[in-house]
Amino acid sequence: MSHDHHNPIDHPEVQLASAGGYLFAYAFGLGAMLLGLWMVLNHTLTPVGLTTAVSVIALVSVIVQLYFLFKLDLSSTQIWHTVSIVMTAPLFVMAVGLTIWMFHTLMQRTMIPLPGMGM
Amino acid sequence: MLVDLQGPWSPIFGRLGLLLDVHYNNPVIFFAFQLVVVGGALLAFWLTCTNRWKWLWKDWLTTVDHKKLGIMYILVGLVMMFRGFSDAIMIRTQQAMAVGPDSPGILGAAHGYLPPYHFDQVFTAHGMIMILLAVTPILVGFMNIIMPIQIGARDMAYPYLNALGLWLTVVAAALVMIALFVGDFSHAGWVGLTPLTELPYSPGVGVDYYIWSIQLGSIGTTLGAVNLIATIIKMRAPGMTWGRLPIFTWTTLASNIIALTSFPVLGVALGLLTFDRYVGTHFFTADLGGNLMMYTNLFWIWGHPEVYFVVIPAFGFLSEIIPTFSEKPLFGYITMVLASMAIALVSWTVWLHHFFTMGASPGVNSYFSIATMLVGIPTGVKVFNWAFTMYRGRLRFPTPMLWALGSLFLLITGGMTGMMLSVPAINYLVHNSVFVIAHFHNMFLLIAYASFGAVAFWWPKVFGFRLDEKLGKLFFWLFTAGTLLVFIPMYTLGFMGMTRRLDYVAHTSWQPLLLLEMLGIALYTLSVLAFVAQLAVSIRDREKNRVTGSDAWETSRSVEWMTHTPPPFYNFAVTPVIHDRDEWAWRREHGLTSLVPDRYLDIHMPKNTAVPLIIGMLTLFFGFAMVWRIWWLAAASLIAIIVVMIIRSFDKDTDYIIPAAEVEKMEQEILSRAAGATGDTADAPIGGGAGGAYASRHAPSQSRKDT
Ligand code: HEM
Ligand SMILES: [Cu+2]
Repeated sequence: MSHDHHNPIDHPEVQLASAGGYLFAYAFGLGAMLLGLWMVLNHTLTPVGLTTAVSVIALVSVIVQLYFLFKLDLSSTQIWHTVSIVMTAPLFVMAVGLTIWMFHTLMQRTMIPLPGMGM
Repeated sequence: MLVDLQGPWSPIFGRLGLLLDVHYNNPVIFFAFQLVVVGGALLAFWLTCTNRWKWLWKDWLTTVDHKKLGIMYILVGLVMMFRGFSDAIMIRTQQAMAVGPDSPGILGAAHGYLPPYHFDQVFTAHGMIMILLAVTPILVGFMNIIMPIQIGARDMAYPYLNALGLWLTVVAAALVMIALFVGDFSHAGWVGLTPLTELPYSPGVGVDYYIWSIQLGSIGTTLGAVNLIATIIKMRAPGMTWGRLPIFTWTTLASNIIALTSFPVLGVALGLLTFDRYVGTHFFTADLGGNLMMYTNLFWIWGHPEVYFVVIPAFGFLSEIIPTFSEKPLFGYITMVLASMAIALVSWTVWLHHFFTMGASPGVNSYFSIATMLVGIPTGVKVFNWAFTMYRGRLRFPTPMLWALGSLFLLITGGMTGMMLSVPAINYLVHNSVFVIAHFHNMFLLIAYASFGAVAFWWPKVFGFRLDEKLGKLFFWLFTAGTLLVFIPMYTLGFMGMTRRLDYVAHTSWQPLLLLEMLGIALYTLSVLAFVAQLAVSIRDREKNRVTGSDAWETSRSVEWMTHTPPPFYNFAVTPVIHDRDEWAWRREHGLTSLVPDRYLDIHMPKNTAVPLIIGMLTLFFGFAMVWRIWWLAAASLIAIIVVMIIRSFDKDTDYIIPAAEVEKMEQEILSRAAGATGDTADAPIGGGAGGAYASRHAPSQSRKDT
């Protein structure tokens, strides 16, 4: 509140926006989603392979969107956003990683193996 | 695409037709209904008689002042705590009554007075309310009121967002209260046990109330977290370096980092459950590759960090109260900060200890067991720091200090039993027994103790007069006696094998302990009365208990004690310059407590707005419509919300400037009123934050390097 923010267009965050970037990120996201959908509908891979492939696609589109939609970089306007993503990423990896580990051992101990699980 | 539902549905009224099947012949609910209706009517009557509607609207409903929003947060929390407490009384009386095959039943129950279906709703509502709608709003309220003043700011970074967060919390509370009278509530425990929450097992609207209430409320909490973090990063007064940040502010930061990173997981978990219930996906059923344990997993990925979200601010309270009444700086500031951050971090790695018994491998259980035990290290550091703060201090024991000490004892016992639970071998024995219940109540009571301490501690700052000490002590001792009588027997019963959530107790040998717990809850009830009496008496005698000067305890240490008591709406006449970690103590030592700054400047303030309240109302309609599947109403309110948000984003007239001359006039007025109260007209009273804004000129300020 210390600065005057009467014209939102002047904000550096808004100034960073670019129509080309938005369109590209949108098209990319759409493409990635369609690719994932196609792979699932056509059973292109084993269940485990599919999960992995879809996860990778999701990860790539997250990165694309962070860069093209949110313009994350180290400039003074964006650095705190970047810092927060850098601090969240390990939590995310940890939560997903530990979950996979746990469910993996649970499946081994209680379920009939799925094809492609390599057990 | 929508799932088929049992029972009636109409395009206009959704599932409201279900209500026709329900018979409202339960005197317990009827009593609650009367309480709410009569209470509401009395309130409206009072507002009309004293001509206060305009005041209510202008001063409270449309405010964006962080102090008022904080007070309202705490008020909502206290009201919901009272509701949750009523549920607790019901749980305890039911269990004390329904022991053994010969125990009689009334009101349609085979034993006791609550049929199982009703009992299950009671404990679900109790848990969910206490954690999400009582403790959380109270803590967020304190963060709202105190933190900005502690860092020398005028308001939060986003005052409008702040109001929105409050009103979303109110929506959550309102939905739960509506569920009490219109329809029913979830019966699946506050954790929402799958598959019990899936449509085939819970065909009514109870689970939907549970889902939407938590979902909407937690959006509010997340917005609040964004705001609090941004405020701490961006709005600190000059000289308020990271190394000088008051500990409560540090804990606010740690806690809200947890909120910001964990609440979205809850949103996803509940979102997937919503899909399961509304459009027939199978995320959490065994059909088509779903997995019910995935819900538990996602829930606790949020749930465990959440319990630290609520405990860390309580640690912050203790770190402010104990030094003040030990008349010493907090021992081990740096380690205290590191410990808060470490707890926040570790809290993210331990969630599986809530389902050790699921059947994951010993390796997994060992990892989570060890990670859980690691939490004990930073917690221990904190306990020792508080102990060393008190060691050789000049101790005083007014009510806030009593609560703080009680809190410390509870932290030690609760932590110890947590350590026991973190050993998988022990956990296999006592998992889902009332031992677990005793453990986490022990922990939540620690928070309650610290919060009551904080109420007594900061009340004079916020309202300008002290709370009655005598009744405060009575409240403390009754509450403590209640705590001992309820929870020692509960730990014992846990070891004796009593499982949680029992509406009928088969073993007559457990009855004596259950009766003891009953006695405990009676004492709690008396303590509530003492608390209400304390508030009433203190408000009656407010002139007598008025605080003169700015520092109610005379030995306080941080920046919030540097401004007038109660603080004016702009907090500080002139933004203070910070010289030391315990700025107020430092100024006291250097005789820089004068109130009058050498000049005044313009002040930039946010304008009141009704938009957050309107969005809140629309959200309530949306939530209600979604619960009862009234699609047109849901769509209409959602669209309205979006439209209002768009309109608001074009509103450029959101703030205003108070000219320096007017600030001076208002300050003069406050000063002369304070001087009148002391009967001392010659000098301005000691204390006040505006003064010494430029103290750095004469101060050996940078002598201490601690950034
Ligand atoms: C030293 C710190 C702590 C340790 C080692 C610890 C350990 C545990 C463990 C192992 C459980 C699982 C018990 C079971 O279900 O079998 C548990 C449950 C629980 N703990 Fe803690 N805990 C600690 C601190 C806390 C704190 C600070 C809170 C809240 C403020 C808390 C609240 C809870 C709750 C709510 C549950 C039970 C949830 C449920 O199943 O309904 N704990 N704790
Ligand atoms: Cu936990």
